[in-house]
Amino acid sequence: MTIQQIKEGPKLTIVIDGRLDTTSAPQLEAVVKEQLTGIDDLTFDLEKMTYISSAGLRVLLSAQKMMNRQGAMRLTHVNEMNQEIFNVTGFSDIMTIV
Amino acid sequence: MVSSRNSGDLLTICLEGRIDSTNASAVEQQIRSLIAGQNITHFLIDIQNLCYISSAGLRILLHLIKNYPTMQLINANSDIYEVLEMTGFTEIITVRKTYREISIEGCEEIGRGSNGIIYRVNQDTVVKVYIHSDALKDILHEREVARLALILGIPTAISYDVVRVNDHYGSVFEMLNARSFSDILIKEPDKIDWCVQEYVHLMKTLHSTVVPKGKLPDMKKTVLSWASFLQEHLPQEAGQKLVRLVEEVPDSDCMLHGDYHTKNIVVQKDEILLIDMDTLSVGHPIFEFGSIFNAFVGFHELNQENVKHFQGFDFDLSTRFFHKVLAAYLNTDDEQKIQSLYDKAALIGYTRLIRRGIRRSESKTEQGRKELAYRTERLLTLLSQTDTLTI
Repeated sequence: MTIQQIKEGPKLTIVIDGRLDTTSAPQLEAVVKEQLTGIDDLTFDLEKMTYISSAGLRVLLSAQKMMNRQGAMRLTHVNEMNQEIFNVTGFSDIMTIV
Repeated sequence: MVSSRNSGDLLTICLEGRIDSTNASAVEQQIRSLIAGQNITHFLIDIQNLCYISSAGLRILLHLIKNYPTMQLINANSDIYEVLEMTGFTEIITVRKTYREISIEGCEEIGRGSNGIIYRVNQDTVVKVYIHSDALKDILHEREVARLALILGIPTAISYDVVRVNDHYGSVFEMLNARSFSDILIKEPDKIDWCVQEYVHLMKTLHSTVVPKGKLPDMKKTVLSWASFLQEHLPQEAGQKLVRLVEEVPDSDCMLHGDYHTKNIVVQKDEILLIDMDTLSVGHPIFEFGSIFNAFVGFHELNQENVKHFQGFDFDLSTRFFHKVLAAYLNTDDEQKIQSLYDKAALIGYTRLIRRGIRRSESKTEQGRKELAYRTERLLTLLSQTDTLTI
């Protein structure tokens, strides 16, 4: 998995490419921990995310918790397979998917 | 047009064919008479063989939802699902789509539990195929509570999908390459302190997670039902005291696992996960300690080999682990404080075991009689020494 960050002032877009699983989740977790200071608008671009495991879901959840305190977060370009996972896990109820 | 089937205490009503203005009110009457005969409030409506539903049909569903807000529609095919989605029904009640059929031909069997067999489907996923063909209710329950726990921030693996495998239900999980704490304790006993630390840390996370009201059963009610059951089997004063002690435990909305032992805590890479979520409830932490006491001590006291079958390690390690957990949870090495928590946990543990023994007629065997007598004596002693169950 590769992670690309596009930052414009307080706006940050994180582009995930590949599998967000147990192996790669810590990598994203580090980005979430270190890069969200001062961010009030966070977007995860998931167009190229090919798989997400529960470890990956938990990183998104912790990002959501941080952004609840400091601004807004959304998931974009969610493909059908990922949408299905967000639906069955209940994530689509608590996250903004556009 | 309308038929029904029961599995356990769950009623499923099956609708077939077309429901339109010509038959809607007749269908509604039939459904209502089926429900009325059963004296229930929760049921499923299976719409697998429903091929058309008109607005008159939708109206009878609305009437039913008003009276039975927890009813669910299951096995909706995609056409019907679309109608229900467009009309907003999927937002007011649970509508489940028909389950995908998958084949396990050629799939590797990787595990076997008491209620199912686990097969590896592909690199990322496994499917647990349940032995009982009516396991759906349990599967959906576990899935629902695991999903709730995940959303509340508890590290757990969740089921991604419910499927049909031949004539059985299956639950699709992600593949875990994980080791249980029991396995670690067996093979690397010197890691016991690390295990205790992580075990207590995760337990405290759980016990500080507030669950929205009504989402999980209240453990205090369950324990109270055990205590009430025991009343007629104990001397009057002791029975009354037992009920009073449980009643006096403060109510709590915090999460309890309910089966928190070392086989249900697993490590994958550096991540610690909690599994087997079907017993989740809310309540005061002392109730968790009651079930932990049983898992490490209570079940095995008079049959110490038992713990080997269950956990894989011996009774000595089991009791040491429990003692260390109590000390770590209280963050103390004061033996008096540790013993006090031990006794409260044991009091709840024995209450459950004695009730279980009576209900299962364990007194028919000599071992069962011995255990019942021992546990009852211990319970009575503990009751005479205890004034509160609060930690």
